[in-house]
Amino acid sequence: MKKMWSCRIILFTFLLTVFEQQVASTQDQCLVCHEAIEDKNAALFKGDVHFANGLTCASCHGGDATKEDAEESMSKNAGFMGVPSGNAISSVCSNCHSSATVMVKKYNSLLPLDQMSSLTSSVHGESSTKGGQRIAQCTSCHGAHGIVSKNNRSSSVHPLNVPATCAKCHSSAQYLRDYNPALPVDQLDKYRTSVHGKQNAKGDASVAECASCHGSHDILPAADVRSRVYATTLPKTCGSCHSNTNLMRKYALPSDQLEKYSRSVHGIALLEKKDLGAPACNDCHGNHGAVPPGVESISRVCGTCHALNAELFSASPHKKAFDQRKLPECETCHSHHDVVAATDKLLGVGKGAVCAWCHTPEKAPKGFEVARTMRLLVDSLQASENHAVLRVEEAEQKGMEVGEARFKLREIRQARLESRTNVHSFNESQFREVAERGLAVSTVVSEEATQAIDQYYFRRWGLLIASLIITSLAISLYAFIRRIEKQQASRARS
Amino acid sequence: MKNRINTLYKWIDDRVHLRDLVEFMGKKYVPIHEHSIWYYFGGVSLFLFIIQVVTGILLLLYYKGSEELAFESIQFIMSKVEFGWLIRSIHSWAANLFVGAAVIHMFSVYFTKAYRKPREITWLTGMFMLFLGMGFGFSGYLLPWNELAFFATKVGTDIPVIGKPIMILMRGGEDVTGATLSRMFGFHVAIFPGLFVLFLSIHLLLVQRQGMSEPIEFEDSPPDGSQRTMPFFPNFLLRDLLLWLLILNVLAVLAVLFPWELGQKADLFASAPVGIKPEWYFLFMFQTLKYIPAQVFFIDGEVLGVLLFGFAGLLWMIVPFWDRKSSAGQQNRLVNYVGIFVVLYILLFTILGYIA
Repeated sequence: MKKMWSCRIILFTFLLTVFEQQVASTQDQCLVCHEAIEDKNAALFKGDVHFANGLTCASCHGGDATKEDAEESMSKNAGFMGVPSGNAISSVCSNCHSSATVMVKKYNSLLPLDQMSSLTSSVHGESSTKGGQRIAQCTSCHGAHGIVSKNNRSSSVHPLNVPATCAKCHSSAQYLRDYNPALPVDQLDKYRTSVHGKQNAKGDASVAECASCHGSHDILPAADVRSRVYATTLPKTCGSCHSNTNLMRKYALPSDQLEKYSRSVHGIALLEKKDLGAPACNDCHGNHGAVPPGVESISRVCGTCHALNAELFSASPHKKAFDQRKLPECETCHSHHDVVAATDKLLGVGKGAVCAWCHTPEKAPKGFEVARTMRLLVDSLQASENHAVLRVEEAEQKGMEVGEARFKLREIRQARLESRTNVHSFNESQFREVAERGLAVSTVVSEEATQAIDQYYFRRWGLLIASLIITSLAISLYAFIRRIEKQQASRARS
Repeated sequence: MKNRINTLYKWIDDRVHLRDLVEFMGKKYVPIHEHSIWYYFGGVSLFLFIIQVVTGILLLLYYKGSEELAFESIQFIMSKVEFGWLIRSIHSWAANLFVGAAVIHMFSVYFTKAYRKPREITWLTGMFMLFLGMGFGFSGYLLPWNELAFFATKVGTDIPVIGKPIMILMRGGEDVTGATLSRMFGFHVAIFPGLFVLFLSIHLLLVQRQGMSEPIEFEDSPPDGSQRTMPFFPNFLLRDLLLWLLILNVLAVLAVLFPWELGQKADLFASAPVGIKPEWYFLFMFQTLKYIPAQVFFIDGEVLGVLLFGFAGLLWMIVPFWDRKSSAGQQNRLVNYVGIFVVLYILLFTILGYIA
C-alpha cells in the first residue's frame, strides 16, 4: 500500500513537471518578461484585439515567443526583427491583413483584404521625405500595441476620434510644409465650427468625419478624378448620408437635396456636362466648415461666382427689404438646390414671373410697373435679336458677305446678357440703358443684313440687264460680220 | 462724225504711219478649214488675261498683302467696296477660265502640229506662259489668306525632289507664314506679270510675223486658189470680238450666280480641314501621287511621281524638237496617240480626284 502511494506521488510529480513545461512553452514568453519590466507596450498589448485573437509579440516582431531565454527568443535565427521600421511596419500588418487564408479561414474576419493595396496607391502611399518609405504606415492612424476595433470608443479610428487622429499630421504646418505647403492646416478648426464637427464633438458618431468624405485607406488628393471629393463625385459623396432618409430623419433634415441638385442648372453643368466651373455642394456650404448659408449671406455665397449680380443686388433697395422680411436673398426668386437656368420668364408680372409675388398693382404699383417695363424691354431685345439673326442667316444663305454683321450679333447677345445681370439692380433707367444699347445694335445689324439681301436681288437684276446688253452687242456684231462678209463676197464676184 | 474720225486717223497716221500697219493687217489672211475653230482659243486666252490685268489692278487698290490684313481686306472688298464683290469674283473665275482656255489652246496647237518648224519658239513661249498661268493661280490662291488656301499652299510648297532650299525660297522660311504671303504676293503682282508680258510679247510678235499655222494637209494642197482664207482684219478680229463678248457674258453669269467664296481666315495653329484639294488644274497630278505606292523598288513613291511628271512635262515641251516628221510635212501618228493618251489621262485622274 505504502509502495503504491510512493508510486502515485512520483507519477504526480512527473505529470506536474511535464504540465509546467507545457504551460511555459505555450505562454508568450516575450510578454511575460516585458510585463515583468513594466513595459508600457506590453500592458497595451494585453488590451489589443490581436492579443485577444491569440497573436503574440513574435507575430509582428519575429523571434520565438516560446523560449524563456532572451538570447534564444530574440535570436536572428528565429526570425527576430526587433521594432519594424519604415515600410516594414505595414508589411508586417499586411502579412495577415492581405491574406485570405489568415483573415477569412483562420479568423473568419469580414475586414477587407485590400487595405494595403489601397494605402499603397493612396496619397499617403507616396514616398515620404525620409525616402524609401511611405508617408503613412498602418500604425500612423491605428497605433501599434493597443489596437482595438474601430467601433470601440477608445480606437484612434473610431468616428469620434478620427478628426484628432488625422489632425496629428494635418494640423501641423511644419509637417505638411514638407509635402504640400499649399494645403491648409486649419481643417480641424473649421470642422469644429461645422454642423458635422459640433455634433461629432457632442459624441454623435453618425455625422460625417474626415473618413466619411475622404475615405480611409484609399485617400486621394481632391484634384484626383478618382477621389471621393473630386468635384463631380462630391455630390454623390455628400448624398451618401444626405440622401439617406432614415439618417436624415434623425436630424429633421430633408433627404432630396441631391435629387434636386442633380436636375438644377448647377447639377446638370457639373454632373452631365462635366463643367468643373459649376458649383458642387462644398462651393456653397463650405467643406470642412460645412454649414447652411445664413439668410443674409446667401448673396455673398452665390456672389462668389455671380459677382456682378450679387454686387448689384447688395446695392439695390431689395437688399434691405429682403433682410427686414428675413427673405433668403437669391434663393427667394431662384430657389437653392433645384435652381434652374434663369430665363426672362422670371422677370415681369405675368405668369411664371417672380416679381409679382410681392409687387402687386395694389400693394406696390411702382415696383409692378418697373417689373412690367423691364420685361417689355427684355422681350423687345430678344425679338430684335432673333430678327437680326434671321436676316443675317438669310443673307448668308444667299451667299452674301455679312461677316461684320455676324460679328455685331455678339454685341446684341452681350447686351442681352448684361441686361439680365442688370435686372438685379432693380433700377429701370440702368436696365433701360443696357437694353437700348442692344436694341440699337440689332437695328444696325438688321439694316446691314437687309441691305445685303437687297444687294443680292440687285445683282441678279444687274446681271440680267448686263447680259441683255452684251447679248445685243453680240447679235449686232454678228449681223455686222455677216454684212461685211456679204459685201466682200459680192465684191469678189464682181 | 465720220469726218472727225478720219481727221483723227490722219493726225495719227501723219505721225506714226498707221497706214503701213493697216496695210500689213489687210494682207494677213487666216486659213479656213475644219480645225479653224481652235484658232480662237489663243484670242480667248489673251482676252481673259487682259481681264485679269484690269481686275487685278482694281483689287490692288484695296488689297493689303499681310498676314493680319489680307483676309480682312478681301472681306472689305467684298462687302464695302462698290462692285468689289464683282471684281473679285470675276478675277477668280477668269483665272480659272484663263487656265482652261490656255490648256485647250495648247492641245489644239499640239494636235494640229502647229508647233512644227518654224514655230518652235512660239510653242515654247506658249508653254512658258501656261506654266506662268498656273503659277499665277497657285500664288494668287494664297492671297485671301483663308483656311483652304493656307493648307493647299502648305501641301503645294512641300514637293519632294525640288528640295528644301526651293521650299524655303517659296515659303520665305521653314513654314507657311505671313512671309509666304508677302512672297506669293510679290510673285503674283510683280515677277510673274513681268515674265508673262515678256513671253506674251514674243508670242504675239511671232504670231503676227509668221502668221497662222496651217494644217499639214493644207500645205500639201496645190496653190490653185482652192484654199479658203479669211482676212485677219476685220473678219477674224470681229469674230474674235464676238467670242470675247460671249465669254464676258459667261463670266458675268458665273461671277453673279456663283460668287467666289472667301471661307474662314487661316489659323496657323488649326489642324488641316478634311478633303484639302488643289486647284482643278493640279488635281490629276495630286491624284496620281496618291495612287503611287510609298516605295517603288528603292525610290520613294512621291519622288518617283514628281520625277515622272517632270520628265513627261519636259518631253511635252520639247515636242517640236523630237517630232521631226511633222516638221518635214509628214503625218506623225505617234504624236496623236501620245496626245490622246495625255488628254484621257488628265480627264480620268481629274474626275477621280473630284470623286475621291
